[in-house]
Amino acid sequence: MISGSSLVARAAPLLACLGLLAIWQVGSLAMNNESVPTALEALRAVPSIMGDKESLINILASLRRMAIGFGIAVLLSIPLGLLMGRNRFVASFFNPLLMVTYPVPKAALMPIIMLWIGVGDLSKTLVIFLGVSLPVIYHSFEGAKAVEEKMLWSGAAMGMSAAERMVRIVLPAALPEILTGCRTGLVLALITMVTSEMIARQSGAGNILFNALDMGQYDTVFAMIIVIGAMGICFDALFEMLRARLVRWSEPQFDMPLSFS
Amino acid sequence: MIAIDHVSQIFQTSSRKDHLALSDISLIVEDGAFVSILGPSGCGKSTLLYIVGGFVNPSQGAARMKGKPITGPGPDRGPVFQEFALFPWKTVLGNVMYGPRQQGVKTAEAEAQSRVLIEMVGLKGFEDFYPKELSGGMKQRVALARTLAYHPEVLLMDEPFGALDAHTRTRLQNDLLNIWERDRKTVLFVTHSVDEAVFLSDKVVMMTRSPGRIREIIDIDLPRPRRRTELLLDSRYQKYVVDIERMFDDGGEAELPR
Repeated sequence: MISGSSLVARAAPLLACLGLLAIWQVGSLAMNNESVPTALEALRAVPSIMGDKESLINILASLRRMAIGFGIAVLLSIPLGLLMGRNRFVASFFNPLLMVTYPVPKAALMPIIMLWIGVGDLSKTLVIFLGVSLPVIYHSFEGAKAVEEKMLWSGAAMGMSAAERMVRIVLPAALPEILTGCRTGLVLALITMVTSEMIARQSGAGNILFNALDMGQYDTVFAMIIVIGAMGICFDALFEMLRARLVRWSEPQFDMPLSFS
Repeated sequence: MIAIDHVSQIFQTSSRKDHLALSDISLIVEDGAFVSILGPSGCGKSTLLYIVGGFVNPSQGAARMKGKPITGPGPDRGPVFQEFALFPWKTVLGNVMYGPRQQGVKTAEAEAQSRVLIEMVGLKGFEDFYPKELSGGMKQRVALARTLAYHPEVLLMDEPFGALDAHTRTRLQNDLLNIWERDRKTVLFVTHSVDEAVFLSDKVVMMTRSPGRIREIIDIDLPRPRRRTELLLDSRYQKYVVDIERMFDDGGEAELPR
């Protein structure tokens, strides 16, 4: 039996989206500006993008780069972050490098990277990789640092080697924090994916958007923004489902712990 | 047998001063003995336990287990910490099975042994619970079972009941003694509670306030198996408790270790 208030809570995200579209619709009608299409016009342009084979190829190419960049970044960043969290030397070596590179918008490196390795897939994937790496390294680092010493001692007493403790204690203990980093990384991957294509116009979702902008097809521009936003929501929701499954043990489940000694 | 031989421990404080935590400790713990290390907080008693566990290297001196110098942690010495230190991503059963699996025991066998231990510590029915779903007393029961599961020769208990309320604490003390009576493993038990030390131990090692030195070693000559309700009325038990509390009082170097 779903109570009224939980029904409202479930419908809230949908209501928020509808509200945003309604404001957009009213606002664009009021502004009556050619470069601001109404929400309905933009929504109407969505199927024409999704139905166009070339657009789809472009979007899929974007997603492929994003997946590769994100995947490699996660695979390399988690071990590095964990090592940093448990080894003072590794931390003091990499920490300054991270502090310097963290605030640099990775897409701003795009022109230089294009000079070095061209405008193809490699440079765009590299930029996505850089964008994802930092939050994942940082959160893995923090997660590993916070692992209780006594937990590692308990493992050592069972006969686990340092490497085993890293994989079988530090990694699972830090997993909630690591996945928080990955979630940030996923959003950043989408952002850097679009911005890299804004700078290196050759293919991709960003390419469709900025070409349409050049040609004054404002309904397509906004439709593409809707498509990218929708992808963001979907990825985040899917990732959140995966995260919740993996770290169910860390989330409060009962309001009160069982009371019995 | 554990032999602690002229062990001293010096720490660097955050202001880079040397702090002498333990000063020239020598102690022999016989096999099968239940020995408590009793002292005020900050006297280095936990550090002494960590040195025996191999988690901390002494600045001077050495600890030996069966004649062999202790150079690191090992499954012959099983720790139980005040902080429980359970693996939160594992269920109760998963936590208890962890040690035997690590030792190469087959899954089915490790599970069977672990279920027996879980029942022994009074947690039958909670095998599939995660640590976050348990109370403090239950967590410490799991921690004890997890350590017993890999059959250490010595139990190193670091104020294991220190974080628990008085009622839970009493129940766990009783249960610990009952479990200990079955195989009488060597136990080194760190505590700051005088009655806990007297109730549980064959021998109480009294330490001074920092820098920790051994002040007195008292043999507790009370019959076993011990029952709390009987002991509380026993004048010998009362005398041990009062004598030890007086010693802490008149020494001038330590407050009543409560």
